[in-house]
Amino acid sequence: MLDQLGNGLLLGIIISVASVALSLLYGVTRIVNFAHGEIIALGAIATLFFSSPLDYRVLFLEKFSPLGLNFAISCFLAIVVCGLFGGLLEVFLFRPLRKNDVGNIAVLVVTIGLSILVRHLYLLFATGKVQNFPLELQRRQTYLFFDMTPRNFNVLIAGIIVMIIVGLLLTYTRLGKAMRAVRDSEELSSVSGINSDNIILITWVSSSMLAGLAGIFQATINDVRWNMGFLILLLIFAGTVLGGIGTSFGAMVGGLMIGIMVQVSVGLPFMEGHTEAKNAVALAVMILILLFRPQGIFGKKERIS
Amino acid sequence: MTSTKISFRFMFALLVTAFSIYLVFFLNPDGALRILLNLLTFAGIYGLSAIGLNVHFGWTGLLNFGHASFMGVGAYVTLLLMPHAAGREGEVTTTGLPFFAALIIGIIAAALFGLLLGLPAIRLRGDYLAIVTIAAAEIFRLLVRDLESITGGVYGIINYTENFQKYRPLFIDNFSGNLGFSPSQAWVCLAAWVSIFFTVLLLKRLTNSPWGRALRAVREDEDAVRAMGKNAVWLKLQSFMLGAGIAGLSGVLLAFNYGSLETTVFIPLLTFYVWAIMILGGVGTITGPIFGSIIFWVIISETDRLAYLLFENANGQQLAGVRFLLVGVLIMFLMIFRPSGLLGKKEELLLDVK
Amino acid sequence: MSNNLISVNNLKKSFGGLKAVDVQELSFKEGELTSIIGPNGAGKTTFFDLISGFQDADSGSIFLKDKDISNAQPYKIARMGMVRTFQLTKVFDRMTVMENLLFSGSNIKNDSFLRSFIKLNSQKLYESNLREKANEIMNDLNIGHMANSYARELSGGQKKLLELARSIINEPEILLLDEPLAGVNPKLAEDILSLITKLSDSGITILMVEHNIEAVMKISERIVVLAEGSLIADGIPNEIRTDSNVIEAYLGKADE
Repeated sequence: MLDQLGNGLLLGIIISVASVALSLLYGVTRIVNFAHGEIIALGAIATLFFSSPLDYRVLFLEKFSPLGLNFAISCFLAIVVCGLFGGLLEVFLFRPLRKNDVGNIAVLVVTIGLSILVRHLYLLFATGKVQNFPLELQRRQTYLFFDMTPRNFNVLIAGIIVMIIVGLLLTYTRLGKAMRAVRDSEELSSVSGINSDNIILITWVSSSMLAGLAGIFQATINDVRWNMGFLILLLIFAGTVLGGIGTSFGAMVGGLMIGIMVQVSVGLPFMEGHTEAKNAVALAVMILILLFRPQGIFGKKERIS
Repeated sequence: MTSTKISFRFMFALLVTAFSIYLVFFLNPDGALRILLNLLTFAGIYGLSAIGLNVHFGWTGLLNFGHASFMGVGAYVTLLLMPHAAGREGEVTTTGLPFFAALIIGIIAAALFGLLLGLPAIRLRGDYLAIVTIAAAEIFRLLVRDLESITGGVYGIINYTENFQKYRPLFIDNFSGNLGFSPSQAWVCLAAWVSIFFTVLLLKRLTNSPWGRALRAVREDEDAVRAMGKNAVWLKLQSFMLGAGIAGLSGVLLAFNYGSLETTVFIPLLTFYVWAIMILGGVGTITGPIFGSIIFWVIISETDRLAYLLFENANGQQLAGVRFLLVGVLIMFLMIFRPSGLLGKKEELLLDVK
Repeated sequence: MSNNLISVNNLKKSFGGLKAVDVQELSFKEGELTSIIGPNGAGKTTFFDLISGFQDADSGSIFLKDKDISNAQPYKIARMGMVRTFQLTKVFDRMTVMENLLFSGSNIKNDSFLRSFIKLNSQKLYESNLREKANEIMNDLNIGHMANSYARELSGGQKKLLELARSIINEPEILLLDEPLAGVNPKLAEDILSLITKLSDSGITILMVEHNIEAVMKISERIVVLAEGSLIADGIPNEIRTDSNVIEAYLGKADE
């Protein structure tokens, strides 16, 4: 059970980071981004590309060979790439849609198309096989109650630190306040001198960078797959919705809860021999909570109909 | 005035569909008919499913992203009620209901699952509903995969097609032989298009009826519906049931087209396929998905050539990748440039909901 | 059996500590045309939402024709003969004006799936009667020429008319009108006012929230004033005009 709790915390922190990113974007732009998972995968794939040894053929096409950079630098570059990708999406896709007054539902469907497109681009041009980061194997150690590898422990600590930083930034910086202003009313903020286009662009970039980081975490703990983002996307949705979509603090807690629920459910008596269905438990809990509290645990009531 | 406009759109859709079928002959000098039969079978099945989805989204405005699960419930319930073999060992069940009894129960089961999935819709608005429905569909798929002793799990269900093929009329065998068709697929194809025919008749009857009108009112403004003394929740649940029942039928047909049933069929991508077809044909229309489906499947089945152009010696995974990639592009392109699809009316454009 | 059609007791509703409605006792008699006025944020629309069932009260009770409707669903309240309109006009945008009216006028039995599928002659007859009635109402309200246009193509004022038409097609006993004159040009406002008077004369009980004080004074039989959720005055127009509480509430607001 304690082992499961450790795994749950790890998965939880990944989902938590990704949920905050998704929630931030929804809060400011009202976009339910189905392509969020693909940005997560981009973080992992880009890191793989930057860090794998030169002679290592991770990629389908002979044209692209890895760069063999230092792992930390690779992670940093990958996050930059994700931010850039998010920024490009906003400037060339979502901003024009917004200017043309395309409805939220239509934009949601566009993100689904985008998700399918990008995911299969990964399959075709990046990695059809399951890959691992070029990191040496580590032995598990005991931290407090949990057994995990030092690397996974570092991921856990890094995740917690990132969450704290994001929370502080959102609460205390001018930018964070501006984001909340745009979230509350786009018209209002454009009147009061905040350039909502810029705020939305910054939101896209930061949300994508956070997603990329979540992808790197996920790949460090597990592996790199072309569809890794989509596999975890529903859990991220669950985390976001559980906490209350659009509230960053809610997304943090919701994500953690989902991660722990997924892993701990493996230890439940009726789940014996049914570990494959562990995601189903978390999703079912999400639906049940929504039935009784449609606005999520920390959401405001006005958000529902 | 409006009627001439509709018929113009109709003619245009017909033309595009005819052209895409011509394309199949053009690109496949040999064996075009066999390819056509295959794609028309899929087009019939997916088109039927998209017609069901249109009841949800086009008529009632329900953002349903769990459509694959309705197809899945229909297929699994029907197959499991008939003689079949399932699981790793291929455990044989020799007793069971005749096809038509099983089919009806399967459709009812799908409709009831629609009712169950519709319950959260009582309180949730658009994008929340999308997330809940897709999650519920995944729960269904994971459970089916996990309950190996009943559903065959990842090993699936086999040896069930005979239940349906034994009703195959003789004339199908005759002309299939002449044209080089697979008679069993020709029978599924015919069944799919007959189903579409009757479903379209049913929906035509309903669309301008007071009931259809009430669903559209729910789509437009639930509060106003309530203020007029109508039970919006019950209307939504009825819509969920009807659309899910239609999807259940298409799921059964899909199972018979495959010959073996696996859980991987009902992944969320299936739902997205159906969405693409619905949008292509025209959200809110009745016959739109038919045209949308044929064109969609021509594109899908002819992408192999495109894949060969992109990759020398493309393998199966790459072929499939190109195919999916194109679906993604199609969905985006349609949403951005032609959200009303082939047959949709601009005045009734349904995707600009705020 | 009282002769009050609607009565509320100790009705309370607050949003996150902010008091929206706090009404001790208030009742409305059959046939009255009552206006509810008050400064912005006085809780008028919330009051409407509470009695029409669109929001649940924190505490208190609401009686309609001596039946407790405190926790009733909006559609059930509407079926009891109390129909409301909305501050932000809610018409069925992508349905025609005629369809808007037909939907609103059609009863639940007529709406049923089974009847719609079987299509009995009785349903056809019902529908054609309904169509006639709808035509009549549309012509009365001067939107007859728009019958086959999509509701979204109507002007703001025409949408208000359509909403009114939709509310009266079922011959309700009580009408709750939420700012029927908002965003309507003066000419049309006159028409709507005379229509409301006419409806009132025909015996319908009307409650109206309206900011146009002049219009309110002109047509109301009784005026109820809310401020910060509470009842501060209740009387005939001439009493309200000179009521010190009311003047203070409005002037206090003007000072801000």
